[in-house]
Amino acid sequence: MADAKKPRAPFAPWDRRELPGLFSVEESARRVGAYKWCELKLFEALGGWIATVPELDVKMRLGAHCYKHAWHAELWHKRLPELREMNPDRLSVAPNEDMVNFIEALTEPEAPELTIEKLVGVYRVFIPHFISAYTFHLNNTSDITDAPTMRSLRFILQDEFEDWRDGEMLIQSLIETPAEVDRAAAHQARLEKILLAAGGITGSGTIGFNTLKHEGALA
Amino acid sequence: MRKFFPVEDLARDERFNQITMNDRMADQRTAITTDSRPSRAANRIVPSRGDASDAARGLMHGIFVGEIQALEGAGRTCWDFTTGEEAPFELKLDMARQCWDEARHVEISIKLSDWMGSEIGEYAENTVLFQAACSSDPVLRLAGVNRALEGLAIDVFTTMKEFGEVAGDQYLEFAEDWMLADEVTHVKMGSDWLRKITENDPERRKKALDFQSVVDKLFSYGGTRSESQESPIGLARRFRELAGFDDQEIDVIADLSLAALEERKAAVLEAQAAHN
Repeated sequence: MADAKKPRAPFAPWDRRELPGLFSVEESARRVGAYKWCELKLFEALGGWIATVPELDVKMRLGAHCYKHAWHAELWHKRLPELREMNPDRLSVAPNEDMVNFIEALTEPEAPELTIEKLVGVYRVFIPHFISAYTFHLNNTSDITDAPTMRSLRFILQDEFEDWRDGEMLIQSLIETPAEVDRAAAHQARLEKILLAAGGITGSGTIGFNTLKHEGALA
Repeated sequence: MRKFFPVEDLARDERFNQITMNDRMADQRTAITTDSRPSRAANRIVPSRGDASDAARGLMHGIFVGEIQALEGAGRTCWDFTTGEEAPFELKLDMARQCWDEARHVEISIKLSDWMGSEIGEYAENTVLFQAACSSDPVLRLAGVNRALEGLAIDVFTTMKEFGEVAGDQYLEFAEDWMLADEVTHVKMGSDWLRKITENDPERRKKALDFQSVVDKLFSYGGTRSESQESPIGLARRFRELAGFDDQEIDVIADLSLAALEERKAAVLEAQAAHN
């Protein structure tokens, strides 16, 4: 064994973490607040839809996924005070009015024959946007200062990937005709256009484009 | 999507046949029997009962559709109320957790029904559970669903677990025990939230407890659940205590259930007399 008193490098040769990050404390908190708002809206919608879908397998999946997104919202809710936001509700808001419009359009379908639209909205539009926003955050925040956010992001991303796969497989199993392919695509396009106007889950700059360097950030 | 979803619109595939509690109670077959066998002094579901397999299968299907409605009810509580203003964020998190638990219970019930030899839709679906989840006050939903109905689920799962144990069916006993653990959690959620939200609002608490009492009586199914051996389902005192019921509350349910059994017996005698 090496001499216990011999000085060692504080960062091992294999530890490539870096200090700089794109987000200030405030910007990280703003993003986390938007994540919480979006996850909350998603789990509420999934819960509401359970009674409206006749397909038993879909009904059960929505129940399981409802909880996962509630758990994500809870993680973000708990992270906010650690980012100096002592009133988490203040930042648990939509990034802009277009995002509110997106949620309204997402949750519009109710009739039992609209399961494809319900699933497309969640699994072909909303969840892919979550994956993008979370991945951007994970890849651009400080490996050292924002490590607690990164830990949550990794747990949540694992859920998002699994749920996306579940949902996509359900959609593929429900689509049986070319007309239904068109229906799914039309609904997806409609929702994507609203999200485009919103700029993504956290608004303009969600995945970097059109992002201004935030005060206090190191890049 | 609307806020507050009517029970008549619950979405089902073509295998399901839905009935209301009124339909069930109005069905003369439940009151008038042409069976020449003497009525049983003990109706508890035990393997020694001649029709034990059929009764257990019927109860299992009842559990299955009850779990679907519990899933739907918890989901609607996530959606129907504005977060923070009408229902606390943490309450909604609990309801979302319940959604996942109930979804698993539906899965378990399907596997168990298959194991016991019945099929989805083989029995009618009574939609009364979801009706209890339609209140416009989240506290009433928690009292009616989490405390009354999930409390009944504790009794049902305990009875089924014991049935599995006595019958030597480890598959059934194992699954029922796991569901029982979840139900104790759900009842405790209801008890905790009821106390927390109505801490300074005795009138609202009374209203919620009154509603729970109505649902408890309704779900005594005319004596289907009570401490009498004449009831197929027993009252699981120990697990109810774990779930936050005190002795007095359990006594009230025991008395209510027994009264419902006596009422039902009188109604059956009356119906039989009228028939003859």
